Amino acid sequence: MTKKRLLRSVGGTLWPSFLTAAFASVVFFANIDPETLHMQTLPDWRISRMTGYAIGFFMFWGVGLASSIITFVLTDGGPREST
Amino acid sequence: MTRPEMPAEDAGMYVAREKIHPREVKGRFQNLRNLAVIVLLGIFYGLPWVQWDGRQAVLFDLPVRQFHIFGLTFWPQDFLYLALLLIIAALTLFFFTALAGRLWCGYACPQTVWTEAFIWMERWTEGNRQKRIKLDKSPWNREKVVRRGSKHLLWVLFALFTGVTFVGYFTPITELVGRAVSLDLGPWETFWLLFYGFATWGNAGFLREQVCIYMCPYARFQSAMFDRNTLIISYDEKRGEPRGGRPRGVEPRKRGLGDCIDCNLCVQACPTGIDIREGLQYECIACAACIDACDSVMDKMNYPRGLIRYSTENAMEGKKVRTLRPRVLVYGFLLLALITGVLVSLTQRTPLAVEVLADRNVIYREVDWETIENVYTVRILNKDRVSHAYTLTVEGLPGIEVITRSEQIRVGPGSTASEVARVRVPRDAVEGVGNPFRLIMQSVDDPSIRTVNNARFNAPSE
Ligand code: SF4
Ligand code: SF4
Repeated sequence: MTKKRLLRSVGGTLWPSFLTAAFASVVFFANIDPETLHMQTLPDWRISRMTGYAIGFFMFWGVGLASSIITFVLTDGGPREST
Repeated sequence: MTRPEMPAEDAGMYVAREKIHPREVKGRFQNLRNLAVIVLLGIFYGLPWVQWDGRQAVLFDLPVRQFHIFGLTFWPQDFLYLALLLIIAALTLFFFTALAGRLWCGYACPQTVWTEAFIWMERWTEGNRQKRIKLDKSPWNREKVVRRGSKHLLWVLFALFTGVTFVGYFTPITELVGRAVSLDLGPWETFWLLFYGFATWGNAGFLREQVCIYMCPYARFQSAMFDRNTLIISYDEKRGEPRGGRPRGVEPRKRGLGDCIDCNLCVQACPTGIDIREGLQYECIACAACIDACDSVMDKMNYPRGLIRYSTENAMEGKKVRTLRPRVLVYGFLLLALITGVLVSLTQRTPLAVEVLADRNVIYREVDWETIENVYTVRILNKDRVSHAYTLTVEGLPGIEVITRSEQIRVGPGSTASEVARVRVPRDAVEGVGNPFRLIMQSVDDPSIRTVNNARFNAPSE
């Protein structure tokens, strides 16, 4: 993988998913308190609010990343349109 | 994994990039840009240190879910403001892009601003453009180690400082710095500090213009907001061509030359490494460095300035320029309306929120022959920074009254309380379900803090 392609793959996957995850986390957690989720799902575990935010953020990022990677692979590696 | 050879037309995307060393220029726009860097970075690094009413003026306190911005405290209930703020920010960007092109990119984008700061550090340690290019090529000797080493040391320290400042918007910064110095940070603080520091270091130190070219969504869609009357940086081809070298003091037209002396300074000054003389390109972040470079040459040659200048497509073609186009007016109007709306609603904001929930188990209760009772749970959120005592009253039905456990309900600053409200109405005054009435919560010490909630009273149907 050339340096440029590496860059494009990072710029095209990690980065957009990070942006959307940041945005999604803000919207989600502004409306839902992780504490409430925690009490309703796994009340026995010790999950602080901060940990709750982090779990949410990384979950969003992970999902976005998966989608971006698939898009990248499909558009970058596949057969090319003839010119 | 092997891949087939890339077709020729793609090869351009994959050639190893040569590091761009933008030439230092002096001039009006460079001054403006320096000012922008100092002001914006000053705000970013300074703001967390500002105190207001005995606490950090701007603090996004995630653990307790409160945002403090100077005198105001925002709660998750105020999410609307955040959404409006984002919309206003986006509209502002559209407005200025339609009017003046990529102003944002050239002067205000954190990517540009931090890159500029990192280039300053590069200049202090490695010298000007020529010296840096030479240093790149030179073998690793003592000088190179010292210069490179001090550059990277500066960069890393600055990036770490940036990370601390960023986290300082979420944790009180005075304590944070104390703990950072004694290496006693919590795991999340450490993580976000390093994360933000690393991002700054990588983006401003190494990726630079590649962020704009490959990673920035705005760079891709800004052209949709452009039209023929948008300000762009352009090279006056009619005046400049044919380009070519000439001795000073020669009248160019006599030699069949245009005003461009082909010195390449505009190309050397460009942080994205393009040649503006080839026309508008999407790599151009409108930083105006080439204008300053070219103007300095024009001054030396005693030619009028502005061979490269801010202009519009229409102006370049000698057509009339219209500043107030429908799209500018629409963006401007929406912006004005939204900002006014937010400001008005901010001044009207009561630091009290009340929710009323009817008891779902019992529709109504007959207290005695004369009286019907409904029970409600009232949740009170005191958004103020001092504690208040509130009284609850009711109105809207004849003879209606409310009984609470105590006359006054005291709620601490930034706290919530629940109270059971027994609302009673004489039997002959109501009939059937869903009779509307109002619950009024009012602060005892400040009668202007007052909310009105609508609720429904249920009674037997006769
Ligand atoms: S192209 Fe994007 S990253 Fe670059 S300066 Fe403009 S907005 Fe910033
Ligand atoms: S062409 Fe000129 S305005 Fe555009 S990025 Fe390069 S130096 Fe800046």
